[in-house]
Amino acid sequence: MSHVGKKFPGTIAVDDVSFEVYAGEVHALVGENGAGKSTLMKMLAGSFDDYTGRILINGKEVALHSPTVAKKYGIGMIYQELSLAKPISIAENLLVGRLPKKGPFLDRKRIDSETRSWLSRVGLDLDPNLPIEDISPHEAQLVEIAKVLANKPCILVMDEPTSALSREEVDRLFEIIGQLKNQGLAIVYISHHLPEIFAIADRITVMRDGKKVATKDKAEMTREEVVQMMVGHSEREFYHGQPRASGGERLRVEALTRKGFFHDVCFAARAGEILGICGLAGAGRTELARVLVGLDRKDSGKVFLDGREASPRNMAAALRLGIAYLSEDRKSEGLALRLSIKENVLAGLIPMHSKAGVYLPEAGSAVLESLMRELSIYPRDPSRTVGNLSGGNQQKVLLAKWMACGPKVLILDEPTRGVDIGAKMIIHAQIERLANEGHTIILISSDLPELVGLSDRVMIMRKGHFIREMAKEDCTEESVLIAANTDVARPAQEVAHG
Amino acid sequence: MADQAIAKADARSTAQGRFIHFVNVIGIYFAALLFVLLGFALQAAGVITNFASAQNFLNIVDNVAMLGIVAVGMSFVTYSGSMADMSVPTTMALSGIVAVQFLKVGFWPAIAAAFAVGLVIGLVNAVVVGRFKANPIIWTLAINYVCMGIIRVVWVNKQIYPDMIASTKDVSQAFDAIYRLEVVKGLGGNPLASLRLPLVMMVAIVIIGQIVLSRTSFGAQLKLTGSARKAAKFTGVNVELITGAAFIVAAITATLGGLTVTSLSRVGAYYNGAGYDFRAVTAIVIGGMSLSGGRGSIIGVLGGVLIIGLINNIMTLIGIPTLSQDMIRGAIFITVVGINAKSLRSLGRDDA
Repeated sequence: MSHVGKKFPGTIAVDDVSFEVYAGEVHALVGENGAGKSTLMKMLAGSFDDYTGRILINGKEVALHSPTVAKKYGIGMIYQELSLAKPISIAENLLVGRLPKKGPFLDRKRIDSETRSWLSRVGLDLDPNLPIEDISPHEAQLVEIAKVLANKPCILVMDEPTSALSREEVDRLFEIIGQLKNQGLAIVYISHHLPEIFAIADRITVMRDGKKVATKDKAEMTREEVVQMMVGHSEREFYHGQPRASGGERLRVEALTRKGFFHDVCFAARAGEILGICGLAGAGRTELARVLVGLDRKDSGKVFLDGREASPRNMAAALRLGIAYLSEDRKSEGLALRLSIKENVLAGLIPMHSKAGVYLPEAGSAVLESLMRELSIYPRDPSRTVGNLSGGNQQKVLLAKWMACGPKVLILDEPTRGVDIGAKMIIHAQIERLANEGHTIILISSDLPELVGLSDRVMIMRKGHFIREMAKEDCTEESVLIAANTDVARPAQEVAHG
Repeated sequence: MADQAIAKADARSTAQGRFIHFVNVIGIYFAALLFVLLGFALQAAGVITNFASAQNFLNIVDNVAMLGIVAVGMSFVTYSGSMADMSVPTTMALSGIVAVQFLKVGFWPAIAAAFAVGLVIGLVNAVVVGRFKANPIIWTLAINYVCMGIIRVVWVNKQIYPDMIASTKDVSQAFDAIYRLEVVKGLGGNPLASLRLPLVMMVAIVIIGQIVLSRTSFGAQLKLTGSARKAAKFTGVNVELITGAAFIVAAITATLGGLTVTSLSRVGAYYNGAGYDFRAVTAIVIGGMSLSGGRGSIIGVLGGVLIIGLINNIMTLIGIPTLSQDMIRGAIFITVVGINAKSLRSLGRDDA
């Protein structure tokens, strides 16, 4: 790939990147969330028809404008999320689109034997007729890999292929990768997980903010250098990091447990404090937030708000107590996309702005006006439909909804996911302002610079447990990342990657 | 820069949306007017007689009033995002027949019994669809058959007559008056121009319904629930309660409709209310209410009811058999839903 680029409305996701991968090589691609790794690989997979630059395969320029074309050139993609259809069988998933036939009928015997041979390549011995929903997630992950291999690719891209696998399965996958490499495949391996990368890669390319930082042989780099390159210092200046005068204890959580999701979680947060929670997706961060606002039931433990026990039974009760939750899923759980900015921002205030059952939306005009100004929501017309706004402005509307409610405790779950840098800066400034005004902020984020830059303290969560607390002085992006990556107390693939 | 482009496109789409809403409401009444003109034209052409008679206009008003009462209640269900309440026909029949049975005790006990029946059906729907998230169409259809079974078993396929059951003649007359009471007698000395109870009830229900949907916190929460159920839940709206309340509203208006129809026909029977489900849904959809919820108004629904009333009247005058009428109404329904879906898609909101 030579000088390729891809713009999205409002942001440049990949900017003038050149990248090459050789046959018989495992090339690792690393970078933080939003660095542009996935976009770069999607270009290779033919997901965009408007990229700039040139892509060459075996020295010949190709135009990868659709997934079908990319497949034809032998590019195989293994994504984090499974692309298998759950109700149908392994065989049908594996051989989709080219099931062997005998006359007008399917050739059951050949389907069976072909599927078995591909499954054995990834070390699985399963009945090809089992539906995907009946096998475990890690088996499904391996079936996914077998499915891509069945298309006989010459370039194989793997995006976080180990996130659902156990230690033994990772070892087996690495063995398979080794075999494929020896057969002459070119492999691009995307991961957050540095130990894996140093175990498997021949060369490493680091990306940051849509640009390539460097490509080097594994032997020339240390883990610390890679982390340094990933993190960079480009975003550092956005965070003021002024010490805040935080007040008394606002929220105390004692041995809170929801079985199967998180266990014995204890922490306290003061008024005017930003408490960061860091952890891998699935570590139980969102589940913890859902229990705190009454969307899910706890199994045991206690929560105290201002010294009084607070276990809201639903979101409405949580709001009355003064606990609000900004969901990570903006489009379905956060906003009513068909309604206006005004209706969305004031949605949480309907009970407060009603007298004897009569709703008076005008009561919120002043709040709406000032929030739209403070958050620079664009366009400045409150009657606009939220679904037509840019992602950044949608996210600002969502934050405005919760700011309007003036909660004592505001839980923010990925408050800047998929948002451009301008909106991100505004949202960060508002989060800091809220804390300065004495609100307690619980910040759940996979964006490390954001988490480290904003938080007064960071709690690291893994597999449903709080494993470590880091004070602001000890928190740098490097230290959090390295701490998470070098912790050997637990199997490596569980380690939080931020 | 990108934001500006988005804003421009959005301004266009917002204006277009407002325009379409305006055209929708005005257009519905304009269409209703066209059907009136069609009636006159057909009479002038000699295809039908009696369209332009005072008696016929009274017929239209009565039909519109009864359908209107039921449709306004059901539109709360549609607005909440639960599409339709298919248990309306037997809610009407059962509440009507129970009322006739209780005329033995007296007029007000009969009314109370009818509402008790309606509320029980509404509550069951509210709990099962609201709380347990059953598919609203399938569930209310099932309830419809269960209630039909109850009527057939309890009254062994018999029709019952108010004048035979009522304890006194006064009670029977009071029941007759639900349909026939002239609230305002003979405007301008013309006995045909009096306002009768069903029309008065419908106008009251339309006004109340419009105010509740557009001006109350219940209406605002209903809109949020119908537009984005999950987001509403995450905003602290008790979506289960709100959805359930919509079904109770639909059951209450169905009871009112049931009492009116039973009073009109002077007989309690399983078939009272037949066809009201589909006619109400068609009126709601013609009235510009989106089947996916959160969009539309009661004023629009009233326009839809007017159109359905006029179409029914003209078809009957022409002499089209009932079954063919159903076919024509079905075709109209499909056309309107199709047009709605298309115009929404062109606005970039592909949810009809």
